Amino acid sequence: MSLTLALSKGKLLAGSEELFKRAGLPFPNGEGRKLVVPTGELRFLFVKDMDVPTYVEYGVADCGIAGRDVLLETGADVLEPLDLGFGRCRVVVAGPAGRGFAPDSASSTRVASKYARLAASHFQGRGLGVEVVKLAGSVEIAPGLGLAHGIVDVVETGRTLVENGLEVVEIVAESSARLIVNRASFHARRAEVQKLVDTLREASARGQAL
Amino acid sequence: MSAPRLAQVPPGVQCFVGDEARRRRGVEEQVVAVFEGWDYEEIIPPLFDYADVFAGEALASRTYSFVARDGSVLALRPDFTSLIAKVAAGRLRGRKAPLRLYYSGEVVRYEPVKAGRQNELYQMGLEHLGGDARAADAEVLAIAAECLERLGVKGFVLALGHVGVFAGLVEAAGSSLAGDRIEELRDRVESKDPAGVRQLLQAAAGVPRDVAAAFERLTVLGGGSATLSEAAAVLAFCAPARAALEELRAVTDALEAAGLGRHVAIDLAEVRGLDYYTGLVFRVFVRDLGFEVGGGGRYDSLLGRFGRPLPAVGFMLGLDRVALLLERQGRAPSSPQAAEAVRGGTLGEALARAVARRGQGVRVRFGNGEPR
Repeated sequence: MSLTLALSKGKLLAGSEELFKRAGLPFPNGEGRKLVVPTGELRFLFVKDMDVPTYVEYGVADCGIAGRDVLLETGADVLEPLDLGFGRCRVVVAGPAGRGFAPDSASSTRVASKYARLAASHFQGRGLGVEVVKLAGSVEIAPGLGLAHGIVDVVETGRTLVENGLEVVEIVAESSARLIVNRASFHARRAEVQKLVDTLREASARGQAL
Repeated sequence: MSAPRLAQVPPGVQCFVGDEARRRRGVEEQVVAVFEGWDYEEIIPPLFDYADVFAGEALASRTYSFVARDGSVLALRPDFTSLIAKVAAGRLRGRKAPLRLYYSGEVVRYEPVKAGRQNELYQMGLEHLGGDARAADAEVLAIAAECLERLGVKGFVLALGHVGVFAGLVEAAGSSLAGDRIEELRDRVESKDPAGVRQLLQAAAGVPRDVAAAFERLTVLGGGSATLSEAAAVLAFCAPARAALEELRAVTDALEAAGLGRHVAIDLAEVRGLDYYTGLVFRVFVRDLGFEVGGGGRYDSLLGRFGRPLPAVGFMLGLDRVALLLERQGRAPSSPQAAEAVRGGTLGEALARAVARRGQGVRVRFGNGEPR
């Protein structure tokens, strides 16, 4: 029996590959568009980043690598035993530069986001009635076009914000890549899962010490 | 006007036919036989009761409730445990403890629909009320193991935790932890996220260092019974947590003596669940299903709410998930005896033959009037 891992071909791919190579674990490369790749002791599934937690939660994959931002958005019930340290970014509230963005000053404020759930719970938690407009991408152009007053989005360097005349108003959450594990796999495939967690923990620590 | 919803199915309900229904019935019969085998009595509680009976934060928001004609608020049962506690404290008040009761039936809850977790769920479970707590804990776990073995479930694990470990540490942290922060911490421990726990405790000023270190260790304290010795060292400063570990030790020792040790794992990050749990908690995991198939725990303060304070422990298996699991593990439902076609002659003659064959216990297909 081999473990199945769900990974995304998105922004965490390079970091995941580097980590696996450092850990001496197999990692599929040059497989083109293949989405299910067996490599001896591990089987890899390549799915959309927002879907990684779902595959793991349902036990289709035993483990996976997902950003904390994605875990917060999906609310998946999975274990998160390891902060892998790469893919660091922040989920922020941003608004037009210079003019700021004060959702508590207006009676109806709209915010555009790919992270609709996270955005809604963030504003709800602070007692603000903000309308969240769910978008699939290019969120940063929404304020300029009049679709929304501000956005909730992921920021790495902040350049995209500047290019679109936006500035960070508030940090919602810090994010980095996490190793996630299915609850049943953790217990029912204990030895294999623990070995993978230990191997990746050790490789991750070595990588961060470099 | 919207189209009539005659063909639509509301989310969260299912319908079972033929083999699926037979599989479920078969599972139920086997599980009930185990419950009866341990001398538990069946209880068939009402389908609905006053909503207050099901009070408790975890359930209240998920309950289907409605207003009766007299203005009282009623609720369809979201679980059995509260109802059984009510009956034990009410109608069965005169019965000497311990009471051993089992149930099998539907509950309904507003829940996000997920594999094997619909809004209508079928639960088979039991409650052990009163009696010696450690003996009851061990008995209930042994029954859970027998149910799964009897069903032929391969590779199951009973993951044991104890509410007192987390609660003891929260108490030790004192006023440095409060309200929302405790719930966030519970969520991070429950997700076995040591980095998240550390971050949260760094943000909360004044948590004693040994307490913070212990919270973080909870996320990795899991495994065989050696875990308990390791945990005892980490939690040595915290008396309630130590007491919790001793309870777990007594129960796991008993299970090992009974040859059930191979099914047991310790998981001290097992800290969630309904808010009425007060002691041992456990969940049943199986390799081929991503979700738990059942679980249970000790709830010593629930019966007091109904006026008969008795310690109690219970356990339940989700029939929907067990059925899904057996299907995944490639187990076919029992097939019925082939039917014998009875037809021919006058209707009266044919019916008389069918009735006679039924009298002999034969499965008949009364085909008179049907094309051959």
